[in-house]
Amino acid sequence: MSSRLVVLPTSRAGWGLLIAFVALVAGGIWPVIGWVNRAVLVLGLPLLVVWSYVIIFACFAVMLVANRVLERQEKPHD
Amino acid sequence: MTSPWPLLITLAYVAIAMVIGLRARGGRRMNSLEEWGVAGRSMGPVTLYLLIAAGSVSAYTFMGAPGWAYAKGVPVFYVAVYLAYLALVAWYFGPKVWQFGERFGHVTQASAIADRYQSPLLGALAALVMSIGSIAYAVLQTIGSAYILNVMSGGAIPVWLAVPLVLACIAVYLFVSGQRAIGRTNAFQGVLMLAVAWAVGLWALHSATGGLDVGALFSRLLAEHGDFLTLPGGGGDMSFSFWTTSIIVSMFSFMPPVWTQWMSASSARTIRRSATWLPTYYVVILPMVVVGFIGIFALPDLARSDTVVLEYAMQFLPVWLVGLLGAGTLAASMSSSEPFIHSVALSWSKDVAQPLLGLSEAFTGKLARWMILPLMALVIAPLAIAEPGSLVMILLVGLGFATQVLPAFIGMFLWPRASKWGVMAGIVSGFLVTVAFTTLWKHPLGIHAGFWGLMLNLPVFVAVSLATRPAPAEVVERFFRIAAPNGLTRLGGAEKGRAVEASVLGRE
Repeated sequence: MSSRLVVLPTSRAGWGLLIAFVALVAGGIWPVIGWVNRAVLVLGLPLLVVWSYVIIFACFAVMLVANRVLERQEKPHD
Repeated sequence: MTSPWPLLITLAYVAIAMVIGLRARGGRRMNSLEEWGVAGRSMGPVTLYLLIAAGSVSAYTFMGAPGWAYAKGVPVFYVAVYLAYLALVAWYFGPKVWQFGERFGHVTQASAIADRYQSPLLGALAALVMSIGSIAYAVLQTIGSAYILNVMSGGAIPVWLAVPLVLACIAVYLFVSGQRAIGRTNAFQGVLMLAVAWAVGLWALHSATGGLDVGALFSRLLAEHGDFLTLPGGGGDMSFSFWTTSIIVSMFSFMPPVWTQWMSASSARTIRRSATWLPTYYVVILPMVVVGFIGIFALPDLARSDTVVLEYAMQFLPVWLVGLLGAGTLAASMSSSEPFIHSVALSWSKDVAQPLLGLSEAFTGKLARWMILPLMALVIAPLAIAEPGSLVMILLVGLGFATQVLPAFIGMFLWPRASKWGVMAGIVSGFLVTVAFTTLWKHPLGIHAGFWGLMLNLPVFVAVSLATRPAPAEVVERFFRIAAPNGLTRLGGAEKGRAVEASVLGRE
């Protein structure tokens, strides 16, 4: 068994989703979190709080899109 | 507190939870692992959404998180971020775990590990060590439950009595209805927590500012405690590196109850739909944290920061809302302790006792159900009453270990060449580093101990896997037909998306 065989996306849509997932995680950690780490208020809330909820709802949005992509890919096999 | 209403409202919640939990059985026989353990793999998307959401929102949300806001400020939001990332993890891995369970009959995380690596020893090891963190977590939640009953009764119910009371309530419906009880009660508790959190948060904001303008609160905080609005926070201890590594470590902690929850779904698609909506539930954290910020001005001299919401409620909110807060906090702690108690009982029976004693599947099903009683009476209750000072440390080490099991999952989902010796070597080396950097030299360079563990664990796992024999080809193929339905990719090669029969077995 080859040691170089791994599980990776096999379609353009799959790669798009992987990049989106990685971008979401990158958005919530350093260095990105350093760029939003400022003592200012947005909509009455600290910027870091607003950014945290932007990330949270972006996760929701990306998974919604991902479901659509998967369902489209699965349809031809139905 | 002299009014009886807070205690009555809290007890009313307990009574409703018990009725829901007992009725969840619905006349089914509960002596099989499939039924008691994973609810016959029957849960729909809404129940699963609330099951996972309520399970992940513990008493920490009602006590610990506002306490962090009170003592440190915005660093508390790392929890909200990693919970959202756990939804991404559930979205990707959950459907595959469900398929493993459905096709190969797994009911626990450790049984999947034992099957993938063809090693009951590795499965038992994973079950036993994972149970350290799980038990510590269940004990902490039980302490939270007992504390709430104690406060709501004005001290009339002492902690030593509150602990067995709470555990007895959980034991009754858990024994009778198993995972179905957890699903139904968590659904109820999830809705209750969301409603209570926002009711308390908005009422507290109104009572503190005279309106619902959260900007007034944070403008004052900005002027007087600006350091609470950025990292490293008021305590000065949440650096960028600790924020980042805490999120990564928490994100890759595949806790056994979550695994069981995934396997309880009615289909792989159900998990994806539930996971998609999961981040929306974490708006439950915001109002509770706002009360913590209000407490900075309203209760400047608190001895224990994690009592900020309860203290504020008892001083400034109506008694009926105090009662609802008690019910909501109790719901949060019970909804989080139940899955861990259930999961430990299930895993000790299935992954330790069955292979060790050669038990039949039918007997193991009965044993798992009865196992919750000694687990609660002899382990969780005494620990919760004694409240050992090292409990949080045990929990941290336990959760640190949970992350160290990552190689087992890499070998299950991503890399077919992983071997059982590679996984064991990675786990042991990572665990030792995590223990050392949690107890002796805490989080060196501001990096989470579990992350240091992973940095040693992963290279050791790869190196030892390459030097030792992998699991039999037919087992690897069985797993990777599910993990990689479109085939595997050769790193550094041009062959992509090849048929799994060829690529997994190396017959290309």
